[in-house]
Amino acid sequence: MMDMFRRAAADFVRHRFLHGTCFLTISLAVFIVSAFGLFLVNAGELMDAWQQGVRITAYLKSDISGQEALALAEELAQKPEVASVSHVSGEEGLEWLKEQIGRQTDLLADLSENPLPDALEIRPEEGLTGADAFDALAKSVSAQAEVADVEYGRNWLQRFYGIYNLFRMTAAVMAALVILAIMFIGANTFRLILYSRQEEIEITRIIGADEAFVKYPLYLESMLLGFCGAVAGLALLYAAFLAVMPQVPPGGLLPVFQIRFLSPGWIFMILMASMFVGWIGCWFTVRRFLRI
Amino acid sequence: MIQTDPLDNRIIRFYQVSKHFGDSWALHDLSFDVETNEFLFITGPSGAGKSTLIKLLYMGERMSSGYAIVDGLNLTRMHRRQIPVLRRKIGVIFQDFKLIAHLNVFQNVALVMEAAGFKSRTEIRRRVGDLLELVGLADQAKAFPPTLSGGEKQRAAVARAMVGKPKIILADEPTASLDPEAAERVLRLLCAAHARGATVLITTHDRNLISRFDTRVIRLEGGRQVADAAGNAVGVCP
Repeated sequence: MMDMFRRAAADFVRHRFLHGTCFLTISLAVFIVSAFGLFLVNAGELMDAWQQGVRITAYLKSDISGQEALALAEELAQKPEVASVSHVSGEEGLEWLKEQIGRQTDLLADLSENPLPDALEIRPEEGLTGADAFDALAKSVSAQAEVADVEYGRNWLQRFYGIYNLFRMTAAVMAALVILAIMFIGANTFRLILYSRQEEIEITRIIGADEAFVKYPLYLESMLLGFCGAVAGLALLYAAFLAVMPQVPPGGLLPVFQIRFLSPGWIFMILMASMFVGWIGCWFTVRRFLRI
Repeated sequence: MIQTDPLDNRIIRFYQVSKHFGDSWALHDLSFDVETNEFLFITGPSGAGKSTLIKLLYMGERMSSGYAIVDGLNLTRMHRRQIPVLRRKIGVIFQDFKLIAHLNVFQNVALVMEAAGFKSRTEIRRRVGDLLELVGLADQAKAFPPTLSGGEKQRAAVARAMVGKPKIILADEPTASLDPEAAERVLRLLCAAHARGATVLITTHDRNLISRFDTRVIRLEGGRQVADAAGNAVGVCP
């Protein structure tokens, strides 16, 4: 094993230009894929944070008494998709409205009676995600006889999910294309390396080396290249992240949301994927090259 | 079909072996046997098929038809995984030396042992050191092939061929690109390998070289075997 490492390391130095090209290609590809991953992870977390702030407001019919409203609140709170339900009386609603409009409170002074109905503010469970799930919950609430109208920013939610899903699909397609590109470039780089070593490999085989002796150091080289390329790509992304972060005001997107770098799990996955892609490119080439 | 017998002393057996490349026949119906520890020449003009014969022996090429056995291994239907097993029984020397340019003399010779799975660095150092001493390259162990003369390169190639203690040594025109003095030295080394028990098969078109030996000569012309002259089996090396 040590011997294999020694030979792989010597090959790195000997074919530094070709290995350097392959290393740069992998680094760049990993940088692009990881940048998309970073965006998606943070967009996903932003969605989660934003969703936790989403409330469904059910406006009750004017003839519903306070007791009936509380009974309905209890009934809705039993639903598995609902975290909590709070009752907001018409008076509380009017007070809140006055607070919101501030100095223009005079506009409300001439009202002979409170026009605001009682309402129930429904906080969905944290696990509830997707515009469809919110839609379904809103429909089940509006189906109640006591409810006059339901409001929950449906259009915003749908638009946001639409954009998020578009990015997610784009990222998946990009990642697939970049992975194919790495495999293609990796395979071709290894083909060049093998061609440049054709005579050496031929001699090694003539003197009695088996396929394992020839190909395992190459596999090791390809995985090391994948690993080093991924480390460099991630380091580059981290440097870019550190450079960009001061430009984003704290709490600029949402007060509870903080942009974060990729988690150790993601980093580990990217390193493994890069090593695997490097190896598979090499495997294809070696398999064809060593055929007698 | 060749029948194998464990008491048989023949290390190489060829029976109606042919090799063609497309429509062109390189070897046609070649049949001969070689005894263990024999020293023989394969001769003939350029294009006679000498090098092709060497390639068939170490499975650098597969034969097109016929049967061949080398030290008990059937070349006719040899699986590619078995080829390294065959090649470890054979040391090959080429006219163009085929040394790896970025490895020094010691590393070139040691590679044979590493490829054969030797793990002990001490054993590798000892055996390679002995061989380099024998071929007179102990002082050049750290030199790289491009810095060596033709004779030195060929002696390094001989050391590489001998280090695995092969049963057979195939030398394809080993002296063709050497001056007389260097050629003489290489031949003496091949004789030394023979004296150590190896079967030595040398291809050459140099009649003067062959005339100095009283040994068996197989002559090829146009891919066909036209003569097989036996020599004195004892004390073949001058």
